[in-house]
Amino acid sequence: MAEQRNPHPKSNSPLDPPVRRGASHKEGGTSTLPFPPRRGKGLGGGDRVVLSVDNLRIHYATPQGDVIAVSDISFDLYEGETLGLVGESGCGKSTTAYGILQLVQPPGYIVHGSIQVDGTEVLNLDEEELRKFRWTGLSLIPQGAMNSLNPTMRVKDQIIDVIESHEGKQTDKEALRERIFELFQNVGLPNRIYNMYPHELSGGMKQRVCIAMGVALHPTVVIADEATSALDVVVQRIVAQTLVKVKDEIGVSLIVIGHDMGLLAQIVDRIAVMYAGKMVEIAPVENVYANPLHPYTQLLIDSIPSIKERKPLKITEGITHDPRNPPSGCIFRLRCPFAWERCAEVEPPPIYVEDKHEVACHLYDEQFEERRTNALASLANP
Amino acid sequence: MGSFSLNYLLRRLLVFFLTVWVAATLIFIIPRLAPGDPIQAMIARMTQFEGYVENADLIIEAWRKRFGLDDPLHVQYFRFLGNTLRLDLGYSMANFPATVYELVGRALPWTIGLVGIATVIFFTVGNLCGALLAWYRTPKWLKVLIPMSMTFTSVPPALFSLLLVYIFGFLIKVNEKPLFPQVGAYARGTTPEFTLEFFGSVLYHGFLPAMSIVLVTFGFWALGMRGMMVTIEGEDYMILAQAKGLKPFYVLYRYMIRNAILPQMTALAVSIGTLINGSVLVEIMFVYNGMGSLIYSGIANQDFGLIQGTSFILIVTSALAVLIIDLTYPLIDPRISLEGR
Amino acid sequence: MAERTKDAPVAGGTKEAGLLNRFDNPWMNWKFLTGAGIIGFIFFLIFLGNQFWDTELALAGASPLNMPPVGFTNWRNQEGIPEHPLGTENSGRDMLALLIVGTPRTIGVGAIAASVGMGVGILLGFLAGFVGGWVDDVIRLATDVTITIPSLLVLIVIQAVLPRIDLVTMALLISMFAWATPTRYIRAQVLSMRESGYVQMARLSGVPTRDIMYKEIMPNLLPYLAASYIGNMTGAILSAVGLELLGFGPQRIPSLGVTIFWSIEAAALLRNMWWWWGIPTVILAVVFIALLLINLGLDEIANPRLRKAN
Repeated sequence: MAEQRNPHPKSNSPLDPPVRRGASHKEGGTSTLPFPPRRGKGLGGGDRVVLSVDNLRIHYATPQGDVIAVSDISFDLYEGETLGLVGESGCGKSTTAYGILQLVQPPGYIVHGSIQVDGTEVLNLDEEELRKFRWTGLSLIPQGAMNSLNPTMRVKDQIIDVIESHEGKQTDKEALRERIFELFQNVGLPNRIYNMYPHELSGGMKQRVCIAMGVALHPTVVIADEATSALDVVVQRIVAQTLVKVKDEIGVSLIVIGHDMGLLAQIVDRIAVMYAGKMVEIAPVENVYANPLHPYTQLLIDSIPSIKERKPLKITEGITHDPRNPPSGCIFRLRCPFAWERCAEVEPPPIYVEDKHEVACHLYDEQFEERRTNALASLANP
Repeated sequence: MGSFSLNYLLRRLLVFFLTVWVAATLIFIIPRLAPGDPIQAMIARMTQFEGYVENADLIIEAWRKRFGLDDPLHVQYFRFLGNTLRLDLGYSMANFPATVYELVGRALPWTIGLVGIATVIFFTVGNLCGALLAWYRTPKWLKVLIPMSMTFTSVPPALFSLLLVYIFGFLIKVNEKPLFPQVGAYARGTTPEFTLEFFGSVLYHGFLPAMSIVLVTFGFWALGMRGMMVTIEGEDYMILAQAKGLKPFYVLYRYMIRNAILPQMTALAVSIGTLINGSVLVEIMFVYNGMGSLIYSGIANQDFGLIQGTSFILIVTSALAVLIIDLTYPLIDPRISLEGR
Repeated sequence: MAERTKDAPVAGGTKEAGLLNRFDNPWMNWKFLTGAGIIGFIFFLIFLGNQFWDTELALAGASPLNMPPVGFTNWRNQEGIPEHPLGTENSGRDMLALLIVGTPRTIGVGAIAASVGMGVGILLGFLAGFVGGWVDDVIRLATDVTITIPSLLVLIVIQAVLPRIDLVTMALLISMFAWATPTRYIRAQVLSMRESGYVQMARLSGVPTRDIMYKEIMPNLLPYLAASYIGNMTGAILSAVGLELLGFGPQRIPSLGVTIFWSIEAAALLRNMWWWWGIPTVILAVVFIALLLINLGLDEIANPRLRKAN
């Protein structure tokens, strides 16, 4: 039996142990699922939740009213796991990341929500607590590594300043130097860049410096925001591999934001799909590719280009509604091939279908099993 | 990279020498554009103003020799260039037999001292105020107070010095004596010497002139700095600095001011000319014994040689100041390296 | 769940702070409006003065000497009289008439010099930005040299050999140096716009260079040009006042700077004739502050980022 998650959980004190959501699922039956459930085989990451985002909502203020960038999304990140956050441009994936990091720039602002890292409620921290928490709890590998390094500081100083800001003045300069060399080695950077300025490095090198910097304090969670998008394909792949390697060696949990489904498939354990500020599906990576549940995920997977066959693009347009004034019910219904009246009336709650796999679509509510069967049949014989 | 850096150095030197050459050439040409024999005209004018010119014959002869007025124009020009570049600026007619070189040598240090100290003050204070205006942690009362202190920005320094002299040199009196002296660079009756007392007198006399420049100028730098800080706040590296959890004050000076100061340095080089314009007039208002007062005495005495020589040396000083700023710029901006690799 | 209400700039401002002042009409800028209002008010007063006051009184000998403004006494204990509400100076010129005549003359010199300088600046700036190559090199060098030279010194040398000159000649002489700053500024703007996406698109789609200049670049450049013009005018008035303070300038019908020069020559400070130098000084100061406000306002109108910082 599929469990519906309460979209508005009660407020948690920061000291409460993280709640393992959907735990009751194991006691329920599995017969109503469209495919046999698999235990999270091949999934990286344990069962301990390190980051829990609950009901996070972020708006951008405009003169014509607020744009809803992130609309009440919730998800968990498990220890040692790599989660991919995907969706088309403007779907709110980067805003989500910056929301988690408390870096939403005006006119954006967080309306409500809860972000817990290892049981610490990030939104309740005051300025100084937040400063100390940053980079030790959550670190960022930024989108534009090209411009993310201070042009008037040497590479070493930009890494040293994180270490000294959080661990105090380092008296043993030799040890500090060794520590930075070790970071360089982790990300495959030569030691000679130690004394260089950012403008003397290539794009790939700058991105690696950002990775080295991101893991320097062994944070609980690292968020890589389109960390590879600005690089060319070859360097992209190398940097992505570096990211995974460093993550495994240092043992952090990782959120990778991107739109290159092919690249993500190779490095993440689970994929979270966002559409117009909503989380529509979150699933182990094999499930997403082999058996996408949400109609939007299906469209997305279908649109991955293949060398073997040429097929027409199914996605013909982006998000169509006014983001200030989203449609009632399901956010995707205007573009959904299976939408019916209920989709306009009730907003689909996240439905827990399997371990670490949730989907927000009425089709997977057990009351509408018949509809689902028909829909799947229509997909099989278009 | 390497070639770019060498280019930078050569370009700066080219601008310097070109400026010196243009200044010398202008000073050579301008009197020749005036109708008549420049020396005769000048002597005539001096005679007309003062009735009788001492040593008139000697002056005429010295100037005739110097100009070599019977030679062809290009010969005169190259001789003039040669003399000028050797800083042989001829005689001051009003102070004959003192040479312009001697007079300038006595006046220039005062001008450099006044303008230099004023520049250090307004550049430091202005940039600091601008940075504080843009910083999110600056206390509210400071954000109100700083713009208020900038009220007089863009008032010409010379006019502002009139107001200051009137208020602090006339209106406000302590024990029947004005709060600040109205004229001069040091107490009347003393001679320049290296004593604490003389130094104190110089500071006391220099205060109002320096403030006339500082109070109307620092606001420009504050506004420029604020604009740069706002631009830098939007840079990607600022978001990363925030994410890194660095201490706010460290972010302010190492990330924001450090980067915002670069264009301000470039702007300083551009503003040197205007600055010297202003200081010449301020010196005249305070009868400060620098280059400005020297020029003014030249104008008052119809002493054309003195005007020419003083102007030339001030233009060269300006070009030199710009060159020094331009050559120190690569030291603070690692993206322009003088060494070249 | 944590409600986010505290004012934490680190995490993005609150909604109210985010909306304040930002989406209003950019021309409703208090700095611009105040500055323009002050200049407008000054011209209105000049207009009224020309209608209702005898400007012939600005000539020497038209009035009694050294009279103080109404309500004050001079060092001879004479009371101010209503016939000369702002007093007179030592050659019998009426201060009010001097202001009515002198103020537009001073601003006029600035406007003429700034216009000529601006015209040359636009021409050279576009030439340097668009043609590039050696043309750009030469223009840049000339600009750098001109900016480095303190213009007042060269103007002093010129004025020292020239016979008395009128205001227009003085304006033209000043404009010899007033072109460099706009040239530099416009060149930089043109270069950055040339590299911008929309101009590149126009270029790729085969729009003629002339059309790109007039239809794509000029309209976007206008607020910058306006700000630059005001800045240039400030600089030109500054040069003009500087020359006048040295005694160069028209003598029969004086401008504000010349009036101040005479007051200094006549030791008005020592004789406590504050109205003689003080009133023109304050009016000039107000004009400069108003021009600066207009300039700052135009800057904010042209550059939304600066608006955000308020």
